[in-house]
Amino acid sequence: MEPAIIEKWPGRTYELTIGATKEEGGSRSKKVKLGGMSTLPFLFFEGTIPNPPAVAMEVWDVEPTDWPDVLKNEYGDVLTDPAKWAKKCEEFGCDLICLRLKSADPDLKNSSADEITKTVKNVLSATSLPLIIVGCGNNEKDSSIIMSISESTKGENCLLGVATKENYKTFTAAALSGGHSIIAETPLDINLEKQLNILITDMGFSSDRIVIHPSTGGLGYGFEYCYTIIERTRLAALSGDKMMSQPIITFIGQETWKAKECKSDETEKPEWGPLSERGVLWETTTSVGYIQAGSDIIVVNHPSSVKEVRNYIQKLMIK
Amino acid sequence: MSCKIKFLPSDKEITVTEGTDLLSAAMMSGIQIYNSCGGEGVCGRCKVKIVKGEIFTDEKEKNDEYVLACRTVCKADMEVFVPEEFRVERAEILIKGKEIYTPAEPTDITPAVFEEKIFKLSPLSLKLHLRLPKPSFDDTVADLERIFREIKKTETAGSVMQMGLANIKKLPSLLRAANFDITVTLGNRNGTTELVMVEPCDTSDKNFGIAVDIGTTTVVAYLVNLGEQKILSAKAMYNPQVSFGEDVITRIIHAGDLAGLDRLHHTVVDAINDLIISLIIENKISLNDVNCVVCAGNTTMIHLLLKVDPSNIRRAPYIPVANLFPVIRAAEAGIKINPRGLLSCLPCVSSYVGGDITAGVLASGMSNFSQLTLFIDLGTNGEVVLGNKDFLVCCSTSAGPCFEGGGLKCGIRAQTGAIENFGITDDKISIKTIGNTSPIGICGAGIISIVAELFEKGIIDKSGDFVSGSSKHLKKTDEDYEFFITGNISITHADIKNFIHSKGAIFSGIEVLIKKMGIDFHQLSRIIIAGGLGNALDIEKSIILGLLPDLPKEKFSFIGNGSITGCKMCLLSNGAMKKAEDIAQKMTYIDLSTDNEFMNSYTASLFLPHTNLDMFPSIKMRETAAKKKSAKQTQKNI
Repeated sequence: MEPAIIEKWPGRTYELTIGATKEEGGSRSKKVKLGGMSTLPFLFFEGTIPNPPAVAMEVWDVEPTDWPDVLKNEYGDVLTDPAKWAKKCEEFGCDLICLRLKSADPDLKNSSADEITKTVKNVLSATSLPLIIVGCGNNEKDSSIIMSISESTKGENCLLGVATKENYKTFTAAALSGGHSIIAETPLDINLEKQLNILITDMGFSSDRIVIHPSTGGLGYGFEYCYTIIERTRLAALSGDKMMSQPIITFIGQETWKAKECKSDETEKPEWGPLSERGVLWETTTSVGYIQAGSDIIVVNHPSSVKEVRNYIQKLMIK
Repeated sequence: MSCKIKFLPSDKEITVTEGTDLLSAAMMSGIQIYNSCGGEGVCGRCKVKIVKGEIFTDEKEKNDEYVLACRTVCKADMEVFVPEEFRVERAEILIKGKEIYTPAEPTDITPAVFEEKIFKLSPLSLKLHLRLPKPSFDDTVADLERIFREIKKTETAGSVMQMGLANIKKLPSLLRAANFDITVTLGNRNGTTELVMVEPCDTSDKNFGIAVDIGTTTVVAYLVNLGEQKILSAKAMYNPQVSFGEDVITRIIHAGDLAGLDRLHHTVVDAINDLIISLIIENKISLNDVNCVVCAGNTTMIHLLLKVDPSNIRRAPYIPVANLFPVIRAAEAGIKINPRGLLSCLPCVSSYVGGDITAGVLASGMSNFSQLTLFIDLGTNGEVVLGNKDFLVCCSTSAGPCFEGGGLKCGIRAQTGAIENFGITDDKISIKTIGNTSPIGICGAGIISIVAELFEKGIIDKSGDFVSGSSKHLKKTDEDYEFFITGNISITHADIKNFIHSKGAIFSGIEVLIKKMGIDFHQLSRIIIAGGLGNALDIEKSIILGLLPDLPKEKFSFIGNGSITGCKMCLLSNGAMKKAEDIAQKMTYIDLSTDNEFMNSYTASLFLPHTNLDMFPSIKMRETAAKKKSAKQTQKNI
């Protein structure tokens, strides 16, 4: 039965494609399309939702040391080789690879731009999935390597991140020269979010090639704040605000696997149930929440979460 | 036990009781050490070095040879060295590199925009020359009643009259010595007419009053000839209370104990007395002929002036001791004029909307008209009032001292030599200063002009960050950019951020108030702006920066310091004072701190001109046109 009141929105979110095939100058076997929604998530009776949310898996260029065994064991020995790791993720059935260049961190390996581009190229040839490439999180370092990353992946139509208020100029210039899209990250504030989008587009960057990262809070660690920010962003987009109509990405894996609920073992907290199930449950539940809020890309770590979430999306996409 | 503390290098000694903190001791000995947190141990600016004596401090992170004076107490005799950068004597207290305890200086007189003749001349203090009929067997009325009878005939005073016993005692000899030719000074005191003074002969031309605007950052005083209704001259100085904290909250905290309240009270009273002395010397008049003072200030300033505990102003639910203080003798507050002279304060509205706003609204005349008017006071507390003759609503936002030239690296009060206009073409700078002298700093109007020009010429971006390589005047110092206007006057990245926070506070205050009343910007007939930011305010530039709403220029008017204008009106007319009381009572206060919309609106306005460009249609149009033009240019080049 259709509800009696149907909202007619004047706006629609931008549709964005990540990845490029051979004919388009890239080397991907498939592309991922995002956004283009003219209503709130999954309200098919109200508007069109041309693209389902996409699921990305993280690949690091160093072995993660603080991941719990429940997560590490799923990958076996590929964690030391980003190319093999990416291949494995493709087998797990995700839509995108999110390559995290952790080794560039001056506190870790402090890898040079040359070393980084070599890794990126290896991953590119190991997988045929479109790529999200994010830096190590150190502003200065990320700014110094992003240009060569962008140049070396020219034509692949990647999603580069993460641009912040501090480094957006370098990131935007890099994305422009390599023909990539860009992730714009702000600390949980719709105004700051819009301001960064304006600043980026003022540099001549197309507003439909930005993906918003409004910050991700783990379940029980600020989730509801992020949820409302995403919801408000969506409502602004549907009301016609073009500077808030970009697709949204949330990094769920990184927030899940550091939570004590996904790490502390059964002897410590027997009432929490088996550790082997907890992390996946936590990651899946958080993902489902963010998908409901309006996140277009979710980035997760555990293969079972990928499976669960994809199942869930499939069900929700039935009109 | 008492301890002797010697302060170096000035060699001043003071004996204090054991356990006194060094900051208080320094202040008692007349040495001013700069601190902005009011002795809370937070700002870390009152650093001193203990040369002799044991150190007793509860400072947690001590990592150098200095201790914080406010956190260190004396338990025995001590010698304390005050380093130059934290010191300094009265005339040279440094605040971010500039003097704050400035001497009284001439300032401009704000022209009154509003027709004040509607108020009948009835000054707070009135002098009447009377030739009393001499007593005889046919007219045996007593001396005092004889004077009352004569005053009643002039119809200048109310029917309730009184005179103090001390004065009555002097009457018989005074009247006879003067041969019954006298001048009486009448004070209008809370509805009663008081015979303040009786003098021999006609001195009615010697009747002066003082209007004072006590701002958080600046104190301004006018000397007014009450008979001729004329302002003789105006003086201004920084409010020296700044050395106890830049904002009202830190000052309220400082006034938490009796000694602190006493210090703040004396500081502001000293400043007012300095201004008065300097005014009367300049005009060669006697202090005895100054018969009344009218003060306007925010609620906290008035509490401190009258030495009334302001601490509940800062505690929920924010209750002041009084909004409407009675007329008192000026001497009771320590103000030095004629010892029997009166002091009246303009009524406040609430804890955070003071008599300065009541005065400004009075001066603007907005409560006399049916058109919807928006009144904006660009002070340290930015107040916004919306209304007409039927209603008034107001809110208060903490804008900071930037519109008065405070808190900026090279900011100064609107005084001779202050840069008030700035232009840059082909990287060539042109400036205009007040009085067309060589520049000494930047005033509020100048800040607006500079930031707007830098923004329009692409030297700063929409978030207020400098665009590197955009100008040769841009230099990187201490990890941050600084734009040099002259060899030593500059505007820093922090200054611009500071300005954006100030303008954001004002604009979001306006926005929330307008939305609360369910109206639209276009429904406003007039926008009146007050504030001590200079001789003129560039409306167009203020709109470009998102400080003022995007409305046709002719709707705006700038009235300068509205608070002192209103003060002067009340000094001259009891009718104006009654009107001010009416305004204060009519005004509804909306507390933004409990408003959900405000924070969102505030962060949205921390952008140039605003995150939501739809609110600034004329700027949006310009931007779209410029974008089209540049796109065409690029196409041509290809």
